[in-house]
Amino acid sequence: MRQVLTGAIGARGMALGRARRVQTTDVRIDPTPLANAEVDGELQRLHQALESAREELLALRDKLQGSMAREATEFVDAHSMLLSDPDLLRGLNAMIRDEHMRAGAALKAQRDRLAGVFEAMDDPYLRSRSEDIDQVIGRVQSILARKSSPEERKLASRVGEILVAETIAPGDLASLAGRGLLGAITASGSAYSHSAILARNLNLPMLIGVASALGTIRDNDLVLLDGETGELIVHPAAQDLARYRRWQRATTREGKRLAALANAPTRTHDGVDIRLYANAEQAGDLATARATGASGIGLYRSEFLFLQQKGLPSEDEQFGAYRNLVLGMGGLPVTIRTLDLGADKAGNAGLTVRGEENPALGVRGIRLSLRHPVIFATQLRAILRAASYGPVRILIPMVTQIDEIDAVRTLVDHCARDLRNEGEDPPDNLDIGAMIEVPAAALTVRHLLKHADFLALGTNDLAQYVLATDRNNDALGNLYNPLQPALLRLIHHVISAANHAGKPVCLCGEMAGDPLFTPLLLALGLTDFSMHPGQLLAVRDRIGSLEHARLRRLAPRILRAGSCDEVEAIVRQGMPATA
Amino acid sequence: MREQGISVSNRLGLHARAAAKLVQTVQHFQSTVMLISQSREVNAKSIMGVMMLAAGLGTPLTIRADGPDEDAAMAAVIALFERKFDEGG
Repeated sequence: MRQVLTGAIGARGMALGRARRVQTTDVRIDPTPLANAEVDGELQRLHQALESAREELLALRDKLQGSMAREATEFVDAHSMLLSDPDLLRGLNAMIRDEHMRAGAALKAQRDRLAGVFEAMDDPYLRSRSEDIDQVIGRVQSILARKSSPEERKLASRVGEILVAETIAPGDLASLAGRGLLGAITASGSAYSHSAILARNLNLPMLIGVASALGTIRDNDLVLLDGETGELIVHPAAQDLARYRRWQRATTREGKRLAALANAPTRTHDGVDIRLYANAEQAGDLATARATGASGIGLYRSEFLFLQQKGLPSEDEQFGAYRNLVLGMGGLPVTIRTLDLGADKAGNAGLTVRGEENPALGVRGIRLSLRHPVIFATQLRAILRAASYGPVRILIPMVTQIDEIDAVRTLVDHCARDLRNEGEDPPDNLDIGAMIEVPAAALTVRHLLKHADFLALGTNDLAQYVLATDRNNDALGNLYNPLQPALLRLIHHVISAANHAGKPVCLCGEMAGDPLFTPLLLALGLTDFSMHPGQLLAVRDRIGSLEHARLRRLAPRILRAGSCDEVEAIVRQGMPATA
Repeated sequence: MREQGISVSNRLGLHARAAAKLVQTVQHFQSTVMLISQSREVNAKSIMGVMMLAAGLGTPLTIRADGPDEDAAMAAVIALFERKFDEGG
C-alpha cells in the first residue's frame, strides 16, 4: 500500500528502486569492570580492532575510482585520522588501564563525551561533525562485536537499490555509489554531514532525517525517493511513476546528467563525444555497466529469460526481470530485444516449432514471434509495464522488410490500449527499432528508417549472412573476418542512412567491444557502440587516444578497398604513431 | 618555544578537511604544536582536538610550537593558514 514519508533534502534528484536496509548491529555494551589480569588483553583487543578499522578504510579508499575518489578521499582520510588520533587513543587507553572499562564501554564513553562537545557548538557544520565520530566509533564497535560472530558487515552491492540506514559513512556511500546504488535515505543526520555533501557532489539523491524509515520500509520494497520535495514514497502508485517520468524527461531536456558517476565521458583525442552502451543478460552485467559508466543498455537479450527455465516465463515473471533492468540502470535508456530464437533453440524455451533443415535461414527472431502472437503479446505487455519505471526501447531482431516493423507497432499499440483499460499506465510512443542483420534489410535501410525509430547493427549475424559463412566453422576461418570490404560497405551504408534520417544507430556485434576495431568503426562514422560491459573501459581508453577527424578522412579509401589486408593498412595510417 | 598569533582566514573555518590538512602538516615534526583559542588549548596533531576548537572564520588563534624543529613546524603551520588551506577561498 502506498505510503508517504518525509525527510530533509540531503541531495537533490529523484531515484526509483528497491529498498536495501542496512541496520547497524546493536552493540551490547558490557559494563562490568575488567579484572586486573584482563587489562592487557583488552588493550590488545581494542588496538587490533582499531587496526582492522584503519585497514577497512584503506581498502575502501583504494577501491574508489575516478570522480568517486576525487570527491570522497578527503572524507575517508579524515576518518582514518580519527582512528589514529592521539587524544582519542590516550583517552581510550586510560579508560581501560586506569578505570578497567571494557573496550566497547570505553568507546561508548568517548563517543558520548565527544558528541556532547560537538552538539553544544553554534556552527551547524561543526556541530554535525559528531556524525563522523559516531561513524568512526561505530565501525570499531562493529569490528569488536564481529570477533565473536564472524559475520561480515553486509552492505548493499546490488544495483538498482536505494539504501535505507540510520546513518552512512562517506566512504561506504562512495563505495556503494560506485557499485550502482541509486540513492540513500537515512533516519538521522544533517544536510551538513559529509555523506550529504558527498551525495550532492556525486548527484546521488539523498533524504535525511526520515525518522520512521527503518520502521516502515522493508527490504525489496519499491521506493520512490524524491529529493526535490523531500518526500519518500513507499510502494509508489501510477501517479508517482508518472511524476518520476516527467522529472526524467525534464532533466534529460535540460541536459542535466542523471548520475554523473555513471556518465564518465567517452571522448576522442580531438574532442568528439562517443556513446558506449552495454549488452546485458544478467544482474552482474548491469552492475558492471553502471560501474564502468555505460550510457545505457544497448542490447538486452530477452531469450535468456526463456532459456533459463523449462516452460515459458509468465507476463509477471518477465515484467519483474525487465523492471529490475530498468531500475538497475537508474534512468538510463534500456533497449530490450524481443525474443530472438530459431528452430535450433526454440524447443528449449518451451515453444513448439517444426524442425527445420536450415534454422539459420528459417523461422527465427521476429518471424517466430509473429507466428506466436499470444506469446509475443505477453512479452510486449511485460515490456510496456516495465517502461513505466524508466526509459525503454523495443528492438526487433531479424527484420527483413518493413511490414514486420509495422506489425510490431500495431501489436504494441494494441497491448498498450489493453493495459490502459486494465488501469495500467504504460508510456505513449515507445521507440521501436530494427536490428540490421539481414543483408536485405541493410540494403533497403532507407525504407526501413521511415518505419523504425532507431537501428541496431548486429554485425555477428550480418557478417555470416553477407559472407555465407558460419563463424563457428573452423574450416572457413579465413573468410569470417570483420574487415571484409563487403561487410564494411554495408555497415557504412547503414550508418550513413541513419545519420541522414536523423535516427540513432548503434553497433552491437562482437567488433564493437574489440579495441582493435575501434578506429575502423570510428572511421566509418559510428558514434554509438554496445558491447559486453567488461570491454567498456578498454574501448573508452582506446577512443581517448584516437583522432576522429583523421580517421573519418579515411572512409572513402576504406570503402574502395579490395581486401581485408588493404583495409588494415589504410586504418593503420590513421592511428597515432605510438599506438 | 615559539608562539605566534594568527586568525582563521579560510571561509569555512577549521572544518574537518582543513583540520585534516593541519594535522597532516604537523604530524611529521617532532615538536609539539598547540593551538590556543580563548584559553582553550588543543594538540594540533589531533584532528579531534582541532575540530573541537570550533574555530570559525576570523577566530584569533595562538600557535605554540615547542621542540627541536619548532621553527620549521611554526613556518609550515603559518604557511598553511596563509594559503587558506588550499581551498581557493
